[in-house]
Amino acid sequence: MDRRAVALVAVALAAAVAVPFVAGQSEYVLDVLFLIFLYGAMATAWNLLGGFAGQVSFGHAAFLGIGAYTTAILTQIGVSLWLAVPAASLLAGLYSLVIGIPAFRLRGPYFSIATIGIGEATRLVALNWTSLTGGASGLTLSAAPPLTLQYFAALALCALTVALAAWIKRSRFGFALAAVRQDPDAAETLGVATTLVKTQALFLSACIIGVAGSVYALHYLFISPDSVFGFSTSIGLVIMPIVGGLGTVTGPLIGAVVYTFIREQLAATLANADLLAFGLLLIAIVVFEPRGILGIVDRVRRAARAKAAPAVQR
Amino acid sequence: MVAGLYAAMSYGLALIYGVLKIINLANAGFLMLGAYVTWWLFTSFGIHPLLAPLAIVPAFFLFGWGLERTLVRRVLGAEPIISLLLLFGVWLVLQNLAYVIWTGDTRSIEMPFVEATVNVAGMPLAVPRLFVFAMGVLALVALQLFLTRTYLGRAIRATAQDRDAARLVGIDVDRVMGIAFGIGIALAGFGGSLLSLLFSFTPDFGRTLSLKSFCIVVLGGLDSIVGVAFGAIALSLAEAFGVRYMPASLQNLISFVVLVVVLIALPKGIAGTLRALRRG
Repeated sequence: MDRRAVALVAVALAAAVAVPFVAGQSEYVLDVLFLIFLYGAMATAWNLLGGFAGQVSFGHAAFLGIGAYTTAILTQIGVSLWLAVPAASLLAGLYSLVIGIPAFRLRGPYFSIATIGIGEATRLVALNWTSLTGGASGLTLSAAPPLTLQYFAALALCALTVALAAWIKRSRFGFALAAVRQDPDAAETLGVATTLVKTQALFLSACIIGVAGSVYALHYLFISPDSVFGFSTSIGLVIMPIVGGLGTVTGPLIGAVVYTFIREQLAATLANADLLAFGLLLIAIVVFEPRGILGIVDRVRRAARAKAAPAVQR
Repeated sequence: MVAGLYAAMSYGLALIYGVLKIINLANAGFLMLGAYVTWWLFTSFGIHPLLAPLAIVPAFFLFGWGLERTLVRRVLGAEPIISLLLLFGVWLVLQNLAYVIWTGDTRSIEMPFVEATVNVAGMPLAVPRLFVFAMGVLALVALQLFLTRTYLGRAIRATAQDRDAARLVGIDVDRVMGIAFGIGIALAGFGGSLLSLLFSFTPDFGRTLSLKSFCIVVLGGLDSIVGVAFGAIALSLAEAFGVRYMPASLQNLISFVVLVVVLIALPKGIAGTLRALRRG
């Protein structure tokens, strides 16, 4: 990282930490920022597998759901949050290992379709296991931590996840993931244990989303299979990184900002209009600029440089 | 009897995979659209649901052909995941347009024909199920004849086997791919239309069905139309027997379980699939 980037990150972090003290009682601002950070963390976690390793999962809501339900059930029986949140994370991670073993027998698009099935199967089990999950009527949590605390939790989770992603991208592990994405056969030939690194990426991403599930449950205080295990949650996790820039460090965060604003604007006006907009956005991005918003930024920058260069020569 | 429906809704998926080597994730959206158009023709114009395919098949063919021309063609050369995401976007658009137009209420076609039953050897059988089965078989026969007996059908099969060789012998491969995609979409619409006779539906119902289609196609072999028919029979039998041992609300789990079992038990079959994927 060069000095400018370090300064930029420091300023952004300082600004984010200062918001609750400046915005004070404006719950709306805090609420929107909370959502951006929570979604940003989840999108970045999804991107570890979907972007870095190129294994697009349509079933990541399963981990959010497991995290949320574990937190809800454990706090109901009086377990402290210090235990409940790690438990939520671990359980989501373990579940990812259980499904990763059969699912990674499949490659690329086949893996993606299997994950639709996994997500759906998990939702159905949660819906029908009434004694544990309360079925369709969902679970209610008793007390919420103050919004400021939730805000800092989401901010910390997001910052740590992005830092982890940045570190992974430059590590040996990150290169192995990139090799899997570019050509699994060649990666295997070069000595990359492709299934192992894919499973590791899935595990990490599931653990982080499990924590996000805890934060989610503590924020909304009500969870049901259709909200946390819902397919639209999985869709959101796919869309954010793609909109921002698949396989990049900051892309998912940019995607989370776009996603949150579109949802805030459209969900109120017309039911499901937000998903309609996301579908169109997805088509447009895939056809015109598969690298997402960061790709567009890159293009604009290059065009500007190309324009500036001849002027310098003269 | 449901096998006919399952087969009809999976032919298109297999055909598009065979020729274009892409997975049509939007299949579910077109199934749903086929069901809604049938319902709409029936409630607004009183057109008998069995006649609806006459309008749906050509219209969906044109739609699919246009989609291939404008969007799908652009991503054919890219990584497989890109086309998957594109068609996923198409699915999202279709599904949520349906929410906007027809709302999320559950719809079903209500008429005497749908509830009629006949006795066959002492067993009461629902008339629409018989018709759906017959039409599924009919579609299989028609498709098989088309693929083996006509020039266009042979060109489609040649393109599926080896795109470059097909081009070498003078087949207009681009045209063939557009037509194959159109036929695939038309078959999805046809399947959806049949489906509206048996089940009630919402804009979202395609998801579990598309999972079933995928399961059937994997069972039957990815580019064989007859294999798809066998896969459909296998899955519908598995479901029918499964329901005896588990609650009906978990019925949709069966296709997923079958999928996982096939993948683990028949790694050879999957290896062939993967090789085909790598070539495409």
